[in-house]
Amino acid sequence: MAKVPASLESLLDRFGPHPAYTPPGGWQDESRNPAQRLVKTHCCFCGQQCGIQLKVRGNQVIGFEPWEEFPFNHGMLCPKGVKRYMQGGHPDRLLDPLMRTPQGFRTAAWDEVLDYTATRLRETQEKYGKDSVAIYGGASLISEKSYLLGKFARVALGTRHIDYNGRLCMVSAGTAYKLAFGVDRSPLPWSDILKAQVVLVAGANVAECAPITTDYLWRCRDAGGKLIIIDPRMTPICRNADMYLPVRPGTDMALYMGLLHVILRDGLERHEFISNHTIGFEQVVESVRSWDPRTAAEKTGVPPESIERAAHLFAEAERSIVLHARGVEHQSKGVENCLALINLCLATGNIGREGAGCAMITGQGNGQGGREHGQKCDQLPGQRSINDPEARAHTAKVWGISPEEIPQAGYSAVEIMEAIHRGEIKALLSCCFNPLVSLPDSKYTQEALEKLDFFGVVDFFMSETAHHADVVLAGSLQEEEEGIGCTNEGRVIHIQKAVDPPGNAKGDSWIYCELAKRLGKARYFPFTSTREIYEELREASRGGHADYYGITYEKIDKNMGIFWPCPTLEHPGTPRLFEDGRSFHPDGKHHFVVTEWRQSGDPVSVEFPIYLTTGRVVSQYLSGTQTRRIGGLLDLYPNPRLEIHPRLAEQYQIKDGDWVTIMSRRNEITLQAMVVKTIRPDTVFIPYHWAGKRSANRLTHRTLDPRSKIPEFKVSACQLRKADGPPDWAPAPGDLVPQSGKGKT
Amino acid sequence: MSLLRNPSKEPLWKDEFSVFTGDERYVTRRQFTKFLTLASLGMFVGNLWILARSYFAKSPVFPTSTVATTDEIPVGGVKLFSYPTPTDHCILVRTGEDEFNAFSQKCTHLSCAVYYERETSRLACPCHHGYFSAKDGSVLQGPPPRPLPRIILERQGQELVAIGVKVG
Amino acid sequence: MHGYEFYVDPSRCIGCQSCVEACAECETHRGKSMINFDFIDRQGTTATAAYVCWHCDEPTCAMVCPADAIKKGDDGIVQSSLKPRCIGCSNCVLACPFGIPKIFPEYEQMMKCDMCYDRTSIGKKPMCATVCPSQALSYVRPEEIAKRREKPTNVFQFGKQKIVTRVHMMVPAETEAVSLDVLDYMWEESYVAFAQPQ
Repeated sequence: MAKVPASLESLLDRFGPHPAYTPPGGWQDESRNPAQRLVKTHCCFCGQQCGIQLKVRGNQVIGFEPWEEFPFNHGMLCPKGVKRYMQGGHPDRLLDPLMRTPQGFRTAAWDEVLDYTATRLRETQEKYGKDSVAIYGGASLISEKSYLLGKFARVALGTRHIDYNGRLCMVSAGTAYKLAFGVDRSPLPWSDILKAQVVLVAGANVAECAPITTDYLWRCRDAGGKLIIIDPRMTPICRNADMYLPVRPGTDMALYMGLLHVILRDGLERHEFISNHTIGFEQVVESVRSWDPRTAAEKTGVPPESIERAAHLFAEAERSIVLHARGVEHQSKGVENCLALINLCLATGNIGREGAGCAMITGQGNGQGGREHGQKCDQLPGQRSINDPEARAHTAKVWGISPEEIPQAGYSAVEIMEAIHRGEIKALLSCCFNPLVSLPDSKYTQEALEKLDFFGVVDFFMSETAHHADVVLAGSLQEEEEGIGCTNEGRVIHIQKAVDPPGNAKGDSWIYCELAKRLGKARYFPFTSTREIYEELREASRGGHADYYGITYEKIDKNMGIFWPCPTLEHPGTPRLFEDGRSFHPDGKHHFVVTEWRQSGDPVSVEFPIYLTTGRVVSQYLSGTQTRRIGGLLDLYPNPRLEIHPRLAEQYQIKDGDWVTIMSRRNEITLQAMVVKTIRPDTVFIPYHWAGKRSANRLTHRTLDPRSKIPEFKVSACQLRKADGPPDWAPAPGDLVPQSGKGKT
Repeated sequence: MSLLRNPSKEPLWKDEFSVFTGDERYVTRRQFTKFLTLASLGMFVGNLWILARSYFAKSPVFPTSTVATTDEIPVGGVKLFSYPTPTDHCILVRTGEDEFNAFSQKCTHLSCAVYYERETSRLACPCHHGYFSAKDGSVLQGPPPRPLPRIILERQGQELVAIGVKVG
Repeated sequence: MHGYEFYVDPSRCIGCQSCVEACAECETHRGKSMINFDFIDRQGTTATAAYVCWHCDEPTCAMVCPADAIKKGDDGIVQSSLKPRCIGCSNCVLACPFGIPKIFPEYEQMMKCDMCYDRTSIGKKPMCATVCPSQALSYVRPEEIAKRREKPTNVFQFGKQKIVTRVHMMVPAETEAVSLDVLDYMWEESYVAFAQPQ
């Protein structure tokens, strides 16, 4: 059983998170013992994948240096990139694999844990069937590893259940773009933003989640560009917005249909483009007929005049760009929200030209690459569909098996957890995923994990999820294995190996190959290096949409990255898609897709009258397993705060700094209030990077978008109650931060 | 570092403790040590130079010059002459029938002209009462620190010829 | 670096504090950041501002230092206090019109931004300006800054004191000097020290 062994306190005490404040060796070490080499690589965190150089001494990363030549970020970094190097020598780093005991965890030898893991997986499959085991992967893994996991699940285990934490990130945009364009990638390189006349940023907290994109937006404005921002909160980029539309959570679709309505009503659409390059326009015209500005305003809370003005601003420009992120995608209407935005671009001819188009801002480090090569429950390498007979034939040939042996599509990430909860899936092997913090409704996730017969985790820190594991296999950090990733713009980049894994930790790819050996599938996993895995990945992706065949490590280094598709070694890559006016659909047309209004999955009611939306802060990354262990980052924003408008706070007699209990239909947590005017008065916001009693996901719900299966993190219903006093986890009174947002400087 | 202070309205302390490193007038320890080392080195080299010079110095060549004839001066008589240059005043004394002694007339104390005191047979300096032997120029009495340089005479027949100077 | 100037544009700041974290990485000041970062009014706005030392032509901090510990070199950079001389008296902290120097009582030392002298003296850019993701802090040639809508100024009027700095502030194009005193905005030509009885 996967109940947590030993008390939570003893686990936290032994494994952390403990914040680290000094570099390995201390602050004075560098002049006495300078770095021996600088390794040009990329940040391990978000999808911007900023170029960075790591200072290496011996087998340790001791610092960083900006990499000014890398064209995406020109040396710029956010604070997470600045401090990332503190992970390698961190005291919480797992240096040995661990086995569960009734008292806690004990260190073990690799043979023991690998044998045990393989045996338990095999036994579970023999007893309950092949599909009783599931694999979780992650979008921070290099593409070689995400490819390896896909192959491992289907060839080594023969299960159809493999999915990844990108299911919580990019799948809405991915599904929408596949429906509209036939391919899932940002259609434009980021340099196009500089040439746009209008940039519409929807549901994207660029300043805190993709900070380097801010420079692109500001430079666009320097050249005369206009910025329209759509968000229930005034995020830092709103300070220079030409228009700010405070959309009510969950009502984005209505707003975009309202914008399209105005564009069509006033004849601002581009007829030539529509008739030459698209199909489905008439149906979409019909669908927005009833969404006049007044109706849209009533639904969204955005004034009708703003809708009119924004529509004109967007459509009258020669070149407009839409950028969107999880704000619109983390909804049960996530796919439709993206489709509605794409419809706006298609109607105004903004696609396939320099300075015009729409793009999703991929959040996770290899969120783009991780959704291309088979880590998804319905996907095969090259962004192929597991249901496509041709795709199955090609992949089977590369893998050396017969097409029939490739399982069918399986459950997505949240569905896997639900299957565990009801006993259908008995064993789980997880890597690069912390579902206890990042999945919605964490009480449910905890119940599910406790029901597992076998739970194995590959990780480099003991995450909160790993507390439940039977075995913890000490894996590798991003700088410890060479490989490739794909950035948010579709640029394939080279992640360099800077150091070897410390202690007895091993490369993730080695771990999975060893497990495959013990499952009797050694001949399908002959890899001795990630480079060899990449050679197979090239072959496997060949001919698919995400064609990597023409990309090699050396070609990437020479060209500062290559945009896919790149079908041959001579091909220079494809920075901008659809320049020939054709989509990736067989008919070559861009598809307008009708979007229909429906309610969110956790609607507000009398009992739960306030919208709850969750999101991020700039100093933390995802579930915080890495960034909550870095002291400098933790000091910038130590605990989650409840962002609440003064008008709403007044109703509950809440002052800035007061402890407030937030209740949803599932659970409640108590946090300190941060009373700010920069959020809608009917909405509250909680950042989700913390675990346990500080976890925003205790409150969220498991409604999924029916097509993408993404959870609806951005729209929940809640009620507030002023708490009597601080909860037991609260810091000592001297450490309380009563003033809004004041961090240590 | 500027050596001279620019005239300014600022009080002296502001100039002396200037916040601008370019205007600072104090010497750092490093600068001073450098200076000491260079100066010492310079002096050492200078000493070596002097040593070398004296080691390789040629003996001076003196001109010859007829000073007087033997019958020109009576016994106990004096003749003043210049040797080797017109400004080097010398004194020739006939202390005996065949004794002719010539010395530089510059007293070795403070360069007054010495005269011959026949009664005592010595060369006297009137300035500070210094007395030299008329025979060998050594100091008999008084402040002069060194003997008078002797003019070496050579008797060529009836002529007395000066051929060199012997100091000390 | 020759030909490069430092420009501060608070309107571009997004509050990520990357500058704060990157500055703290320097071994010279070991984990203490020399950036002055401000949440201007978090209750009302997400606007933030980050400042470095302005490296004034006539540095007030150096003028008031009783230990002669703050020096300005010929290259125009006002150095942080000299370790053997600083006595931790906070005179400079109080005197600086921009509030830049920071006192560290545990070291009895003032420390402040020295424009990453260890980097700029060998031709590298200051760390904060290199990492800033919005280029609110930037270290570029004047031609680069000319592309922006705002214009740089380096003249500040602090009451009666006119301050000219090495670091430039980006301001709206019509602005001549940045006035920091309420007197500059008052209507009365001369001000009255004590309120007159009505």
